[in-house]
Amino acid sequence: MAKEKPETWLPLTPAMFHILLALADKDRHGYEIMREVGERTEQKMRLGPGTLYGSIKRMLSDGLIEELDERPDPELDDERRRYYRLTDFGRRVAIAEAERLERLVKSARSKKLLSARGT
Amino acid sequence: MNISAKVYGFMLLAYPADFRRQFGEQMCQVFRDSYRAEARSGSVTGFWLRTLLDLVLTAAKERTATKGFFMNRRTDAIALLGCVAIIVIAFLLQAYVRNNVPSIVWFGYILDPLVVSGVIGNLIVFVLNKTTKLNPLRTAVTVFALVDGALLLLIVVISRTGPAVNWIGILGGYVVSYAIWVGLHFAWHSMSGAGSSMQGQASS
Repeated sequence: MAKEKPETWLPLTPAMFHILLALADKDRHGYEIMREVGERTEQKMRLGPGTLYGSIKRMLSDGLIEELDERPDPELDDERRRYYRLTDFGRRVAIAEAERLERLVKSARSKKLLSARGT
Repeated sequence: MNISAKVYGFMLLAYPADFRRQFGEQMCQVFRDSYRAEARSGSVTGFWLRTLLDLVLTAAKERTATKGFFMNRRTDAIALLGCVAIIVIAFLLQAYVRNNVPSIVWFGYILDPLVVSGVIGNLIVFVLNKTTKLNPLRTAVTVFALVDGALLLLIVVISRTGPAVNWIGILGGYVVSYAIWVGLHFAWHSMSGAGSSMQGQASS
């Protein structure tokens, strides 16, 4: 599955892309992903438990993310939590999606829908 | 908090069993964490509304995405249509007998419980079979016994202040109705069991 081109997975749903972004810099558990997405989007994107785990289920089966056997911070954390990590393939898909969105924004700029500064 | 978490845990029955097994505990944990954070900011009602909307939309999505849902949809539709057909026929017979052959009183004693316990009982059995892993035949036997028992109790309460009733006719009607519905569920269970074992043999 991971041998396929990342482009075949595009476009990602907003929830899936936000989860990939949340995992891009750090392994996280479900609630941490939810909180990171909320903070980064100034609470404009709020993932419910169903959306979060429905997306995680799909991304696990597609090989975009993987579940960790060990917890990054066992001393400080609840042992029942499950942590997720971006796979190499997931990172390539996230980059492909970011590039696709960048091209879209460039098109919007060329049509004067956005100013050159991106406001 | 505990009650909210328990209510949410119960509502997870809306998701397919496999999904619940894989993520149910995690979802409850995320719900508890989010609930605590929302309670601190004092917007629990908005949080509940968002959570309910999320649950309804994603549970429907997970159910339709489950392979078994599509595999069983045809048999579910046949069973549902069969039940509706029996209830409609019973209704029509009831109306016909009352208007044209009022002397056949015993007919009404059977048709009344057949319709009422058929509607309530089959609805409960259908929901339980879709949301739990309980044995379908045992579920039907128990649910129809409870529904018929509850309806008989209701008649006892009503008859205390109302007109005198023919208890032999009513009890006989409920026994026949119970036998018909449980018998149909037994036949359906045997047929679908035979069908799935044949499928299993074919695939092996």
